[in-house]
Amino acid sequence: MSNIQFAQLSDHIEVDPIKHIDPKALLGHWINSNPDTISIARINITEANGKLQLQVFAVGPDGPIDWGTATAEVFAPNPASSAGAGFTCTYDFGFAEARFQAMIMKGLLVLAQFHTFKDNSNRASYFMREYYAMTHEHF
Amino acid sequence: MDYKQKSHLHPDLLNPAAANLNPDKLLGRWINTNWETRGIAECTVARDGDDISVSIIGVGEDGPIHWPTARATPLANLEEEAGQRTPAATATFDLGFMRADTHLRINKGVFVIVLFATFLDDSGRANYLNREFFYRHS
Repeated sequence: MSNIQFAQLSDHIEVDPIKHIDPKALLGHWINSNPDTISIARINITEANGKLQLQVFAVGPDGPIDWGTATAEVFAPNPASSAGAGFTCTYDFGFAEARFQAMIMKGLLVLAQFHTFKDNSNRASYFMREYYAMTHEHF
Repeated sequence: MDYKQKSHLHPDLLNPAAANLNPDKLLGRWINTNWETRGIAECTVARDGDDISVSIIGVGEDGPIHWPTARATPLANLEEEAGQRTPAATATFDLGFMRADTHLRINKGVFVIVLFATFLDDSGRANYLNREFFYRHS
């Protein structure tokens, strides 16, 4: 094998260049499994111009809050795969930043959120992890 | 106070004791539960001033591969898992040819590393994610 660089054996592979990770498994309307969530209620994921787009609707004290759209980076389950299995994304609100790391597990989207405040409110940075199911009409 | 979701207003975020930012439960040497892993063999989390440092050893062909140590900032966890409210942390490892964005947390005593690898070389490998589980080395 060539002198390809790796940090763990699972990276030590040679592949035909993967130019595009297919996000098909991620596309759709995802709803939070927890009806009492104080976080994100639903996420609409689409593909536009070859990019993964998120639209997030969060739960606010006075009703839903539309975060608008953001572009996400798609990740495969291994370095030789071209199938999308997760994504990362960042929303910058000015006063705070929300970073996402998400993966599909057993049909659920597991979303880890990292919130960092940039204002002078002295709020602690925090972590949340919630589960989302894709709505469908198969049954 | 500005917010974009209810949790931004959670009172525990202003209460250091309740926010449980103490990273002590994350500290230590953690060994992969899967001895056949082709990924991360072990991880050591140590105090580094107000922050923590994270050292990872990957499984290599001819022996262990020591990743450059990364600094991590503990994050409060607003939710209980199995009656625990343990902190989490994020850490980014710059390996030159690859960047590994990770988050670390404990669930029921198991240390979990979720890794998002982005290749920065022209090897054609797909950016990928992985999740591995670790037990505390006694």
